[in-house]
Amino acid sequence: MKESIEQVLRKLEGLNTLDLVQKKLNIRKSTAVKKLCQLRKLGFVETSGGGKQPRLYRVSRLKIKKTGNPGLYDIINQNSPIKLVKPYEHRIVGRKLSIEEGIVMAVKTENFRVVLAALALFNKIRDWSRLYHYAKKEGVRRKIGVLYDVARAVIRVRRMPKKTRKLLLRAREKGRHIIPLIKAKDFLDISREWKIYVPFNKADLARYKE
Amino acid sequence: MIGLEEQNQLFLLMGQKLKRKIECYVIGGSAMLYYNMKSATKDVDIVFDKEEDRNEVIKLLREIGYSERGIKVEVIYVKKKNVPVLLQKDDTRIDLFFEKIITTRLTDSMKDRIRQVYDFANLTIKVLAPEDIIFLKCATERAGDRVDAVNILKKVSVNWNVISEEAQLQTKLGEHLFPVYLFDFLYELKEDLKAEIPAGVLREIRKMAEDLLEEKLGRKEKKRKPGKRKVH
Repeated sequence: MKESIEQVLRKLEGLNTLDLVQKKLNIRKSTAVKKLCQLRKLGFVETSGGGKQPRLYRVSRLKIKKTGNPGLYDIINQNSPIKLVKPYEHRIVGRKLSIEEGIVMAVKTENFRVVLAALALFNKIRDWSRLYHYAKKEGVRRKIGVLYDVARAVIRVRRMPKKTRKLLLRAREKGRHIIPLIKAKDFLDISREWKIYVPFNKADLARYKE
Repeated sequence: MIGLEEQNQLFLLMGQKLKRKIECYVIGGSAMLYYNMKSATKDVDIVFDKEEDRNEVIKLLREIGYSERGIKVEVIYVKKKNVPVLLQKDDTRIDLFFEKIITTRLTDSMKDRIRQVYDFANLTIKVLAPEDIIFLKCATERAGDRVDAVNILKKVSVNWNVISEEAQLQTKLGEHLFPVYLFDFLYELKEDLKAEIPAGVLREIRKMAEDLLEEKLGRKEKKRKPGKRKVH
């Protein structure tokens, strides 16, 4: 007997791989692919992964209708080798989130994983004065400077103009912690120069070298 | 009635006019619009956790033509300091709450469960989880809220533990018997509107409500007879 869309969605709701869909619906691989394709066209399926990572299908009983433009987690996942699980769907309405604003936003979250994953965004910066503008607005100029130096010590990043560096170094802001109460033992010279505690040890950044 | 597009335009206008960053939470029908569970809502319900933020938004809304609705909230919320502000402009109605929504508090656990965040320039809108939307609807008497709750139950798999734990937490925070309201509400949904609610969940919430009632009644009995003590 043919199952209704509602029944299929109930069975598949959540995160699936192609194998899992085959097992849950007891169908052949080609039929599973067709089913997922149909559901995606109807707006019930979102795909992610592929390539080296397994292809994942997120099935929801609600039609996924996205408002606005990609938010912080989407920007990081698009541009960083370290991927993040979204704690919530973040969207920006009325404008697009730039890489520069994304870095500042990541620092403002004060979340270890988010800041770690955001280091890769330094290689995508196009407008350094825009980065400075957002950093000044949010009061995180020194933190941005120290994270840039840490990123440069581990991964390939674009060179920061001397003018921006000078301006960032000149900033007088409160607070020495990027992540509250976290102070690592590595990168002490960078930490001393910017007067900000680096939250990462070298081992934390090893994932960038994999 | 207001749809998702109009609601987004309103938030964007507010966000662009605000001079500093303000965060708030949407609940009820407004939140359901973001989950695609409803096509339009009668009013936009917004909750703030800082009073100065609410005051700034009220000031802004008045500037763009919103005025107090003709309802005397003081009559409904007798002797209450924290009353919602109800504004209206043409067909659009906005209810602005601070920390408390009628009898329910906006708790940290609710804030941790938010599923969607939208940045409209300086206004950040956080959408409560479907479980919390259902929970907030259980303390009201409106028929429309029951229909909304059934629609949510049809479209998402609800984590019932979250709802029952929130009921217990809210009871600890205030004087209301939330598990009792919740049981009545869910029982009505199951019996009258044929909502799919597991029997085990209803049994558990009923037990919780009964225990709570016994505890409260026991305390009252003790208060009434202070002199009487058991003689061993």
